[in-house]
Amino acid sequence: MRRVRVPVVLALAAAAVIYAQVVSSYWLHIAIVSMIYGILAASWALLAGYAGQFSFGHMAFASLGGYTSALLVQWTHLPIPLGMASGTVVCAVLGSLIGWVCLRMRGPYLAIFTLAFAEIVRIILLTEYAVTNGPAGLRVPHLLGTPAKLPYYYIALGLLAVCLVTMSALAHSRWGFFFRAIREDEEAAAASGVHVVRAKMYAFAAASSFAGLAGAFYAHYIGILTPELGSPDQMGLVVAMAILGGIESLPAAVGGAAGVETLQEALRSAGAWRFVLFGVLLLVTMRFFRNGLLQPAWQRLMHAGASEGKVT
Amino acid sequence: MDYALVQAANGLVLGIIFAVIAVGLTLVFAVLKIVNFAHGELYMMGGYFAYYAIELLGLSPFPALAAAIAASFLLAALLERTLLTPLYSETTERKAEYGILITFGLSVALRNLALIVFGPFPLRPPSFVAGVQQWGPLILTNDRLVAGGVGLLVLMAVVYIMSRTAAGHALDAVSQSRESAAIVGIDPRLAYTLGFGLGGALAGAAGALMGPIFSLSPSMGILPDTQAFVIVILGGMGSVPGSIVAGILIGLLESLFTAFFPDPTRALSYSNAFGVLILMVILILRPTGLLGRRHMQME
Amino acid sequence: MRTGARVIGAPGISLRRISGVIIGTSLVVLLLAGFIVTPGGSTWALGAAVPIKLGWVGPLSPPGDYAQGEILKNAGIMATEEINARGGVLGRPVEVVYEDTSGRPEQGTAAMERLLTQQRVVAVFGEYHSSVALAEIELAHIAGIPWVGVDVWANKITGLGYPEVFRVAPTNALIMTQIGGWLVAAGFKNVAILQEKTDSGINARQTLEPILSAKGIKYDVVETDLNTTDFTAQILRFKSQTPPYDMLLTLFSGSAAYTVVSQASSLGFAPTARTAIYNWGGPALDPTFWKNVREAGIGLASENVGLPKVKWNAKTNAFVETFHKRYGFDPTPQAMENYDAEWLIVDGIQRAGTTSSRALIAALEKTTWVGTRGKYAFSKSHEPDWAFHQFMDAPVHIIQYDQMNQSPLDAPVVWPRSLATVDYVYKPRP
Repeated sequence: MRRVRVPVVLALAAAAVIYAQVVSSYWLHIAIVSMIYGILAASWALLAGYAGQFSFGHMAFASLGGYTSALLVQWTHLPIPLGMASGTVVCAVLGSLIGWVCLRMRGPYLAIFTLAFAEIVRIILLTEYAVTNGPAGLRVPHLLGTPAKLPYYYIALGLLAVCLVTMSALAHSRWGFFFRAIREDEEAAAASGVHVVRAKMYAFAAASSFAGLAGAFYAHYIGILTPELGSPDQMGLVVAMAILGGIESLPAAVGGAAGVETLQEALRSAGAWRFVLFGVLLLVTMRFFRNGLLQPAWQRLMHAGASEGKVT
Repeated sequence: MDYALVQAANGLVLGIIFAVIAVGLTLVFAVLKIVNFAHGELYMMGGYFAYYAIELLGLSPFPALAAAIAASFLLAALLERTLLTPLYSETTERKAEYGILITFGLSVALRNLALIVFGPFPLRPPSFVAGVQQWGPLILTNDRLVAGGVGLLVLMAVVYIMSRTAAGHALDAVSQSRESAAIVGIDPRLAYTLGFGLGGALAGAAGALMGPIFSLSPSMGILPDTQAFVIVILGGMGSVPGSIVAGILIGLLESLFTAFFPDPTRALSYSNAFGVLILMVILILRPTGLLGRRHMQME
Repeated sequence: MRTGARVIGAPGISLRRISGVIIGTSLVVLLLAGFIVTPGGSTWALGAAVPIKLGWVGPLSPPGDYAQGEILKNAGIMATEEINARGGVLGRPVEVVYEDTSGRPEQGTAAMERLLTQQRVVAVFGEYHSSVALAEIELAHIAGIPWVGVDVWANKITGLGYPEVFRVAPTNALIMTQIGGWLVAAGFKNVAILQEKTDSGINARQTLEPILSAKGIKYDVVETDLNTTDFTAQILRFKSQTPPYDMLLTLFSGSAAYTVVSQASSLGFAPTARTAIYNWGGPALDPTFWKNVREAGIGLASENVGLPKVKWNAKTNAFVETFHKRYGFDPTPQAMENYDAEWLIVDGIQRAGTTSSRALIAALEKTTWVGTRGKYAFSKSHEPDWAFHQFMDAPVHIIQYDQMNQSPLDAPVVWPRSLATVDYVYKPRP
């Protein structure tokens, strides 16, 4: 965040507040969901774009965060924010475990492994319905006692801001440098003194805990949780968001999430065509605009062409 | 014990089909050095190609199977030409990641396009040969026998092509080293198209063979895709014989797992998880697969 | 980090970067335009010709069963046209806003949100998935807007006792009572249950179990994941059981039922002289059933939640004829449910003389309308809990196919006996 332009940030904050005042509660709902997916897309971008770890298990962590929080609240009557915190912690621990286990797996092996992990999580959540209520969905108590959207909107905005700031700080810390070093060349990084084991575990722990937090907030906002949250299609959606926005810039990934979610709503009447559109959009972006659609614009905005290149 | 025998026979047929799918995946990996996450969708397309060859062109099932294999080859070659060419460009960095994301996007697009074009209702092409065969306690439908038999022939053909023909030697040379292959006069571009097309044709053949047994649906590719990953990891990425052995092994193991899982009410639910679990354990122990060859590493 | 050279595969051509900026900017503009152009509520417009808006919810895209959703929607479109051809209601035309839920509870919540706050609909009807319905009725309850369930069978939906919630479909309790009665009458004693692991499958099985136990019928349950395609191992396991099962009861509301039926038949398990087969959940009545199972479907029994042909009234006849002419296949009972639900709401508005929610709910409680599925009335009793606002006389009868490619409307009715068209309760396959 060293070079962040204060006016840009202020303008964005002002836009968010104005938006909240003028739109109907329905568009507030879309904004809240967008911000949740924004956290998911940005944390996936942190893992995939920065650290080069292409995990397809990200949504499984969102799912785990949600179920952990919901079940803890249900069993122990823990206050909901504490439940969400426990969901986050559980995901951080499991995430670092996965990071450790995947230590020596490269590229496609890691992708396949995490895909397998996500499948197992989903199958267990589906099958053990005595605990999880299976596909019918687990009823989750709402975070707030009010059905009003505005308080949720500001909480989501706050969460998104906190997550983005934390992730940016991490990305620009020594560890962020290590992440990129590993991405570029793992052996060289290890040779030049990067602690590869720890860096990978940190990357997974951080990304997974953000996913868990987002999943837990989602559960306590929507009020129902199904194993479908961790399905490959949902994972595909988050990947599409991050890629369309730009996988190497966290705010661009958030923008991608907002864009996809809004398009999804605007094209409701198109039914199944929406998914084809996202798939094709993903292909075209990957093929021709590998920086994503929003990332270049965002960088212009923040740095006005300063090509020494700091991602916010 | 009769039951175990019947299950083993059934698992063997499924294993052969799994092997056909997995060999396609492993071939693509060997030649192009990417994991094709859209492989299951090519399997699905093969099934629909056969169905429409029968329904619209009026072909009988066996010629339709051949047509489906040809169509799958062309589709895969076309996809390779349009989407995968950046993989061969010197300026492209981190090709493995590009390969993962582009094929992942392709799988989402193809699956959902199929939903619209072919419709959500499942379709079942007519049987290759109607009826069943029974030997004592052992019952196999003719369609399964055909799938197993043709599957075996296809596998033998692949082994033959890879070991005895010029095209196979060219593919093998490119898979070992692109540069040295180019030096001896093999055009790598042609090898890539051929390799990806052949992979697609194998997936399509499996889809067309399984159509009358499982019915066709746009999401039919998801499960074989996961299974193919398990097999390829087990058999070693890029190894054709490894995939054949591993495919048959997984088919047998999964059938026996369903048969002998202690809690029968959950056996079917967890039989999918079973293969996936094997895969995770293998990857933890051997991060490059069981028989992974060193030179198969990403560049 | 450098943005040009190190990004995956980017050749770092500035032209490409510029076009990226252009695309990015235009996407943002497009999004903003999307916000502005979205249809607002209709509160500003007052006047006689302003349509009365009804909301419809249901699966129109995967992972929902959107083939079913489409059939429901088609029946709804017919109802709207007929209502408006008659001059609408209260002198205003009726407009139905269709919302896709993808069969996901979360999307159901979003769809209701949109219908209630954006479209300001007078009432909501539809839905095919019980799990989604359960999420939706929470919002209907908070908003106080009537919600009429079309083809959702879980007892809990009306069991929650929300005054806004009505249901035209039978509940699982009603359906399973019929199935239980039929099983006893047909003399089945040892039942293998193969069940899809979905909310409706689980609910069906949980409702069925006490009924089977009460009637002294032995049973075993096996659950399967929805994307299972090979049931061979399980069917063979059933087949090797001693004493042998005399009934394979499949609880599948989706197209996986086709695979089960095909494989059970080709493996020589059911339907055979020894073992019968039953499908709960509706797919056996779908237009694609025969295409997928072919001769394996002969002898299969299933429930039909429409009126049997002998009881058809003028409306049923007209609806079946028009639907068949328009869409090329016989309507499913679910289509009739959706058609009737829309008409019921319009009838309620007519009698209430207003679109106010409270008046409409009160009017719906006094419904005596005759539709394609008989004369509707909603119970006000809370005993048992699911009875509240339930169409208690919802038709349920059991058919057994005796020919290939038979329309469910022409299949012999075997249960209840008062409606049976044949002298047997169950005919084993020779």
